[in-house]
Amino acid sequence: MSKIIKQLSIFVENKMGELSDITTLLASEHISIESINLSDASDFGILRLIVDDSQRAKEILEKNGFSSRFTDVFAVEISDHVGSFNSVIKALAKQNINIEYTYTISNAEIGAFIFKVADLELANAIKTLEKEGIHLLCEI
Amino acid sequence: MWNKIEGAPRETIEETQLKRLKETLERVYELTSFYKEKFDELGIAPKDIKSLKDIERLPFTKKQDLRNHYPFGLFCVPMSEVVRVHSSSGTTGKPTVVGYTQSDMDVWDEVMARVYTMAGATADDVVHNAYGYGLFTGGLGFDSGAKKIGATTIPASSGFTDRQIMLMKDFNATILAATPSFALHMYETAKKSGSGYLKDFKLKSGVFGAEPTSDGLKEEVSRVWGIDYHEVYGLSEIIGPGVSSNCKHSKLLHVNEDHFYPEIVDYKTGKVLPDGERGELVITSLTKQALPIIRYRTGDITSLHREPCACGRTLVRMESIVGRVDDMIIVNGVNVYPSQVEHVIANTKGVTLNYQIIADKKGHLDKIDILVEVSDEVLSDSVAEMEKIKKDIQHSLANNLYINANVKLVEPRTLERSMGKAIRVIDKRI
Repeated sequence: MSKIIKQLSIFVENKMGELSDITTLLASEHISIESINLSDASDFGILRLIVDDSQRAKEILEKNGFSSRFTDVFAVEISDHVGSFNSVIKALAKQNINIEYTYTISNAEIGAFIFKVADLELANAIKTLEKEGIHLLCEI
Repeated sequence: MWNKIEGAPRETIEETQLKRLKETLERVYELTSFYKEKFDELGIAPKDIKSLKDIERLPFTKKQDLRNHYPFGLFCVPMSEVVRVHSSSGTTGKPTVVGYTQSDMDVWDEVMARVYTMAGATADDVVHNAYGYGLFTGGLGFDSGAKKIGATTIPASSGFTDRQIMLMKDFNATILAATPSFALHMYETAKKSGSGYLKDFKLKSGVFGAEPTSDGLKEEVSRVWGIDYHEVYGLSEIIGPGVSSNCKHSKLLHVNEDHFYPEIVDYKTGKVLPDGERGELVITSLTKQALPIIRYRTGDITSLHREPCACGRTLVRMESIVGRVDDMIIVNGVNVYPSQVEHVIANTKGVTLNYQIIADKKGHLDKIDILVEVSDEVLSDSVAEMEKIKKDIQHSLANNLYINANVKLVEPRTLERSMGKAIRVIDKRI
């Protein structure tokens, strides 16, 4: 099974109630948010979501005037012991794979992180981690 | 009066105009295929123009014609005779370029000398020139006119307000040349140093222009500085500042019509309108050598008045500009067309993005916000990338249109639309 996860990246203006407009919209359409991350600049931000039905979520967002796109990321299981996160980073660093960003998955039962690397490095990153015996999630 | 022609009998002025018009028509017909083809198409030859009234039969020239012949295509003299070029903003790589021979420069000095004289300036005065020096005609136009009358010029140019105020005071400037909004901005800045400080200024009058100005703003500039307000009208396609200006007896601007022949036309039909009626100002240059121009559509709305003026000048007078026929706006003295902004955005990102221009005041200066809708095509997952889009657009606007705009990225479909049609400009200054 593919280890690539389709994340939705949404452009949001930095204004009152913006985030709740999106979450309300998705909730009303019964789309479940598995993971959420917000990265912001001074007057706008990029909201990164992993949802249970990303294609439908994108259509709903578009219909309601939001720009969004899919971004390929992967999820790594990271157990709660000293050095586990470090082992992932070290494996990627050894291959000169640059991490663009990473964030935790909010509702995972076991500890897990989302990683974004350059699209060209994606396949290599997944291969590298699997070779190291690190467990990647197929779905969230 | 600087030149006695300003107060000459109407017949003398009209004789001069007709003679110069005929010479101009002979030259453009012979020297440029652009005019020859246009005249031929209408079956008119220069010799058919026997009276000033016949000018109505001639074809119009538009800004686009200048752009189509970028940069020097409509020049009527070899470049060896061109001593100066100026240019106004355009879309990427295509500004409007104008050229001057030495005799054109002499005409410019002459009309600017008339402007200063109308404002009460003489060789004894010190002119503080806060118009931007450079490709814009404002700085150098007000500079050389002041030199012509023998006044002392402080070439302050634009920006650095605090330093400008200090120089204006310490050098005992008596005449201020600036955009009205900058004049007010200078006052607000000077006021911070206390009211005693303001008493030290020697200003007596000002020559203001380059932007549409309400009567209220004119009165305020005049009141806060305690000076006479003189308005100056001009455009680079005709000469730069110096086409017309007002004397102390009225708010109407005397047109230097021995050099620039004005008409008012209905901007939809092109039909000439009688005196007193508002319409688009059309100007024919009568003495320009490098870039003569026939019936140029200025896009400015005004009216003409021929009643005598108490100052004794017999030149026709025009009303201060009341509006535009197109959607051009002026931001801190720089002309901006929404279509240019659209072009710049499209050229920067390779896609056409929906946008809206919001012009407003920040203190007394203009500020411009440009909202750009983020489409899926340009959306990136990276905040740094998105910041770069914003910076890139700001950078190309500054480079191509000479405006410092604050670009704001917004969500699609947030921009106001009226009956489905996008609203491109919101001018909160009006």
